Amino acid sequence: MAKSKLRKTFVEPLGKNNPVFVQILGICSTLAVTNKVQNTMVMTLGVTFTTALSSWTISLLRNHIPSRIRMMVETMIIAAFVIIVDIVLKAFYPEMWKQLGPYVGLIITNCIIMGRVEAFALNNKPLPSLVDGFASGLGYTYVLLSIAVVRELLGSGSIWGIRILGSWWTNWSIMIMPPGGFFVLAIIIWVIRETVMKEESHA
Amino acid sequence: MHNFAIFFASIFTGNILLTTYLGMCSFLSVSKELKTSLGLGAAVVFVMATTTPLNWMVYQWLLIPFGLEYLRFIVFIIVIAAFVQLTEMALERYSEGLYQALGIFLPLITVNCAILGASLFMVIREYTLATSFFFGLGSGIGWALAIVAMAGIRQKLKSAKIPPGLEGPGITLVIAGFMAMAFMGFSGMIALT
Amino acid sequence: MSVQRSFYKDRIYPLIFMFVTTLLCILLTSGLHLLTLDRAEANELSFARRAILQAADLDFTNTTDGIERAYRMQIGEEAGFYTATGTFGTRYIIPLDGPGLWGTITIMVGLEEDLETFSGVAIVSQNETPGLGARIEESWFTDQFKGKRAPFIMVEEGTSSAPQEVDAITGATRTSEYFKNLTARVPGEAQRLIRGE
Repeated sequence: MAKSKLRKTFVEPLGKNNPVFVQILGICSTLAVTNKVQNTMVMTLGVTFTTALSSWTISLLRNHIPSRIRMMVETMIIAAFVIIVDIVLKAFYPEMWKQLGPYVGLIITNCIIMGRVEAFALNNKPLPSLVDGFASGLGYTYVLLSIAVVRELLGSGSIWGIRILGSWWTNWSIMIMPPGGFFVLAIIIWVIRETVMKEESHA
Repeated sequence: MHNFAIFFASIFTGNILLTTYLGMCSFLSVSKELKTSLGLGAAVVFVMATTTPLNWMVYQWLLIPFGLEYLRFIVFIIVIAAFVQLTEMALERYSEGLYQALGIFLPLITVNCAILGASLFMVIREYTLATSFFFGLGSGIGWALAIVAMAGIRQKLKSAKIPPGLEGPGITLVIAGFMAMAFMGFSGMIALT
Repeated sequence: MSVQRSFYKDRIYPLIFMFVTTLLCILLTSGLHLLTLDRAEANELSFARRAILQAADLDFTNTTDGIERAYRMQIGEEAGFYTATGTFGTRYIIPLDGPGLWGTITIMVGLEEDLETFSGVAIVSQNETPGLGARIEESWFTDQFKGKRAPFIMVEEGTSSAPQEVDAITGATRTSEYFKNLTARVPGEAQRLIRGE
């Protein structure tokens, strides 16, 4: 029983409760780096790490946090985890850290993290909260990664920096420029809502 | 001259919403209505123009002398939250009209990534105090411009026939894409210095 | 009694809680920061040294140790510039910075003995738009300057043919222009730094 519930907690954010499609949350901080798959991967891993651990920590403290300063405490804990991501990147992946620039810090304001903390972690035990945060992060990761794959492939003819399309391919520069991000995200949301979500609402 | 260029670049060619997607969450949900968009836009301009230089002072005069640069994320967000809270209290006490117009939008602002984003960009680009002010002001105006324009367009779209999957956020993103393209057209206007 | 209790619950407890959380967060992050401080500083130094090696167009293994070894063997440090010696004779490497679209761009430029022909260009730091202007760091862009002389002409990506021409970066016209202006200052700076004129 408990196991199946945990499973449900894990699967839902990946499919029909995906934070990006359903709530269009949290795209701010990462969309800007989706013109390269590699950068996107690192950013989304950072978001997953932060979401999972903040949810877990806040769930541990949930019965002790005074309600009037709840938001401040949550922000503080999220920020601490983001600083950890920032320090680790700076020390061990300095090149990636330089490329991502200010975007690592912006994970703090990623609405998904605060969203999961408020909606789930405050009312659930630590383990389910950890799973929920982790799964939400993964659901977020694959959507952002698919955006990045499309953008990098069409915009630079490569994936993960490796040239895939031959020299016959003319790069669609618009894809690596800001408007490309808006269009690709819109199209992906459209496709998912027309296919996956429609079936589910009929069922 | 340089400040002037940064000011215009942050409104048009480097519009914080249309080039770095910051502040998307409130942009997508609030742009349904023109009046609300105007209120939120004005609040963003005010908060961004004040917190960016404020964070500059905190960063240069407090964090750097003590070697605490790595704490900037926490400190910036606290400064922003505290400033917003104080403004809200001041408005409530001294100006009923302004509080009615702006007050309700202020709590939304702390979680607006664009505000923190402006402060983080200011640090990484090594701006001076004056430039930070112009950058913050310009970014705020740019954000407000984008959301107000979007709200106007969305009101016109109310009776348009849109494929069901694209309704709401989908079509808003498409329009934002076209707006981003249009704003890129301003590139030629700012001469290189 | 109950009044006191609620005073504690409403005022004191939140304050204590906030204070303890803040303290814990700061202690945790500060500890991690101190632990990795040496590493981060070593990275910075290594970045600068790698840029010097790249600008001098030398071969080296791209690891911290490889960079260190190649740097010790072939690079000499002078006042305000660096020299590289090898079978090619002597090359001069000068640091240079100038405005970019969003912030300062710092580069290392390697020059042959004539102080005009570029042996290489390497980016030390830049704050241009990721995926657009930030592509000035990619090797296809910096490699274009090898064996050429400033000033350069920026042309559409993929169309350079004449010796003075370099491919600009699509979607980053202004960063490309700023970069061109920066490289145009190289011969003058080189004369000033190396010849002392």
